[in-house]
Amino acid sequence: MSAVEGSADAGRGAVYDRGYRPYEGPRGQRGAATLALYKASMRRALGLRRTWRQKVAPFVLLAVVTIPAIVNVGIGYVTRDRFDGFVIITYREYVGVSSALLLFVALVAPDVMCPDRRQKVLPLMFARPLLGTDYVVAKVGSIATILFAFSYLPQVVLFVGNMLVSNAALDYFSGHLDVLWKVPLSIVVLAVYYAMIGCALSSLTDRRIVAGASVIGLFLLTSIASGVIVDNSDATGGGYGGLLNVLAMPLHLRDVIFLGHVDPSSQLGGVAGGGWLALACYLAVLCTGASVLWWRYRWVER
Amino acid sequence: MNTGPLLRISGLTKTYPGVTALDDLTLELPHGRIGLVGANGAGKSTMFRVLLGLSHPTAGHVEVCGIDVARDPIGVRSRLGYMPEHDCLALDQTAADVVSTFGELSGLPPRAARQRASDILDLVGLDEARFRPIGGFSTGMRQRTKLAQALVGDPELVLLDEPTAGLDPIGREEMLQLVDRLGSFGISVLMATHLLDDVQAVCDHVVMINAGKLVVSGATNSLLERTGLVTIDVGRHTEELVLGLARAGVAAVAVDDVVEATVGDDAQMDLVRDVVAEMGLPLFRLSTRLRSLDEAFVRRSEELA
Repeated sequence: MSAVEGSADAGRGAVYDRGYRPYEGPRGQRGAATLALYKASMRRALGLRRTWRQKVAPFVLLAVVTIPAIVNVGIGYVTRDRFDGFVIITYREYVGVSSALLLFVALVAPDVMCPDRRQKVLPLMFARPLLGTDYVVAKVGSIATILFAFSYLPQVVLFVGNMLVSNAALDYFSGHLDVLWKVPLSIVVLAVYYAMIGCALSSLTDRRIVAGASVIGLFLLTSIASGVIVDNSDATGGGYGGLLNVLAMPLHLRDVIFLGHVDPSSQLGGVAGGGWLALACYLAVLCTGASVLWWRYRWVER
Repeated sequence: MNTGPLLRISGLTKTYPGVTALDDLTLELPHGRIGLVGANGAGKSTMFRVLLGLSHPTAGHVEVCGIDVARDPIGVRSRLGYMPEHDCLALDQTAADVVSTFGELSGLPPRAARQRASDILDLVGLDEARFRPIGGFSTGMRQRTKLAQALVGDPELVLLDEPTAGLDPIGREEMLQLVDRLGSFGISVLMATHLLDDVQAVCDHVVMINAGKLVVSGATNSLLERTGLVTIDVGRHTEELVLGLARAGVAAVAVDDVVEATVGDDAQMDLVRDVVAEMGLPLFRLSTRLRSLDEAFVRRSEELA
């Protein structure tokens, strides 16, 4: 470090040229780079360190999915003297409400993936100790984490609220211990699935609007198509056409987790081995998404 | 730090369908500031991709800072900084955010990355602007931000792809000064450009490639060969001097307000000086004329052809 001092004012002040200081501290490798990208993607998805407009969508959606829990707990509190264990929405059904977060996926996955291509940031990233698989893990992981948090937080509000307004909080807790693993497991199933689809579709284009429309379009079209097929089938209950419904696949697995079988009133109700078929389709969609992502980011390792 | 050569390239060939981007390059380059010169499409960017391990060579072997790129691309990338030619920055983020994020991606802990981002942005002259979104930056400021993100990980070697592209003369001069300073920080530079003046200004070593083939590689000074000409500036007395030198047996011509005389040895150089003194002409400049890198590039390319 060198100091340039004015001769007249020597001792009173100095201008320092700090120059360049080499970094001699600890240095991470792939894991650190992946974690850094994961955190940066989380910040971007949540609008942190960005303008207030970017923060509106995620937190409005969080508020929207939390409202049913607050309403349920509020009514339970007001009617606690007349009904014990008042229920508007069950934990199983509430996991289904979280599927509203696919709107969040349609907004956020393109915002996290597309600008990297459009603004040509990828060569800079891959000039770091980072492989294509690390990039995909960080991106899918960040969106899945936010989806999990946004789905799990309302469930926590619902559980704690119900416990506190019940006449016997400890009895409520001990009577609902299964919820403590079924809810997180169901939400993991849902979050990973939606994150993978959102990222895979977003990786195919560098335009956010196209990617967002593709995500919404895939879910809408497949659910409409499967609905039409199931409704026109001769079978009572559901039918194999329900397997086309990409949107509902994790919800069938949720039912298997909570009930031990698919919901008889669902599109797969009455289908022999419906749970296994739903699991197979779920894994097939995940594998397809992973393959698309591998294909899109494989060039960095060639 | 690696004490061997900075780059060791042997028989490097990279072909794409119908195109040979790099053709049997063999090089060994020392630490320092190196200019990679070639026309557009000469293979400079392909060479950068190969050095970064982003593109596998069709044939040949590449070592960067003593590390085999094919065997340990991650290890190589940990030691490199890269500044691409094209725009590559998230426009809605501040320079501080972008540079500190790339610091973390280079393996630095978050706190150290933020600290270094601040220091490096100060170094490249963006101290005041570091909390402004990059979308509002001028071309010069974006180039500096790109340089900052390349330096934030404290690389041993920084690859600069056309660092002065799109800059006005003042911005270009400032960028070249920054590149020149990197050498004093112990950071080696490989600067790809088609502007030979930039290379001549800051680089110790020059590699010239054309259509994927090596034209010449050597120290910059060794390529600036003496031409056997001296340039004499005597103000507006050029014609008088040309006649005076002719009388003394020295061939000379007037070129753009100066006189260029052909001298074979030091004795003839003294003779030129004496002629000017005897004629009582004002002598503003007397210098040997070196062959420019442009001339060297053209001549060597012709020889190769």
